[in-house]
Amino acid sequence: MLEEALEHLVKGIVDHDDDVVVQHKDGRRGEMLEVRVHPDDLGRVIGRSGRTASALRTVVGALASGRNVRVDIVDTDQVR
Amino acid sequence: MTQDTDQTEQVEHGENGSAEPAAADSQQSSDSSTGLDREGEIAADFLETLLDIADLDGDIDVDVDGDRAAVAIVDSEEGRVPRRLVGQDGKVLEALQELTRLAVQAETGERSRLMLDVAGHRAARREELTRIAADAAAAAKDTGERQSLEPMSAFERKVVHDAVLAAGLGSESEGVEPRRYVVVLPQQ
Repeated sequence: MLEEALEHLVKGIVDHDDDVVVQHKDGRRGEMLEVRVHPDDLGRVIGRSGRTASALRTVVGALASGRNVRVDIVDTDQVR
Repeated sequence: MTQDTDQTEQVEHGENGSAEPAAADSQQSSDSSTGLDREGEIAADFLETLLDIADLDGDIDVDVDGDRAAVAIVDSEEGRVPRRLVGQDGKVLEALQELTRLAVQAETGERSRLMLDVAGHRAARREELTRIAADAAAAAKDTGERQSLEPMSAFERKVVHDAVLAAGLGSESEGVEPRRYVVVLPQQ
């Protein structure tokens, strides 16, 4: 549910919604949602001073109801 | 449905002088309110889908308040809106509002100033602020001294400024965000 909700939120605010991919990962450091977007949309998803990224984390935190879920916005230039 | 809205948009830009006003269902609606209605619709779709995905109860109310679209997630017959969508000090509500504005902007291409409320939180806070403002105004009148209030968000300060003005006094904001606060001024 969480990755679907995050995907919906991100798709709503980007230009290239077909390029939005959210992956759920269970790591040693807990749950993580990795967000990938079109490079042109990266600025939008992060926002001025990280404001939008922070809003996404806040809402995901509320939906996760207590579970600690990290949200990682992947800069695709850095990852293969 | 979407086509109607698109037509209205074009009429707004004055490109199509011969366009008939669509089926006169809202004859009085001005250009700006049609824009605001559309903002509300986009926001409602965005939030409705979010509630569906997260399997949360709640209905969406859409209205226009002055020059802004006003959207509210309210308790539905099936159940109450989970209060975690408000969060501590309305933090989650602010985040949801921010994302909803961005979603509207992505569709319309224009900045949105829409206000979101969840479970009446903002309405209740507004009442509380109005009471705080009235108390401070009374104290300023009684003592003849400036009354400094707690730090508040820009929206909250606006509510206080308006309420102080209604009480017949003036006020100003001092300090730097996020610790900016209202000072109620005694009559000169």
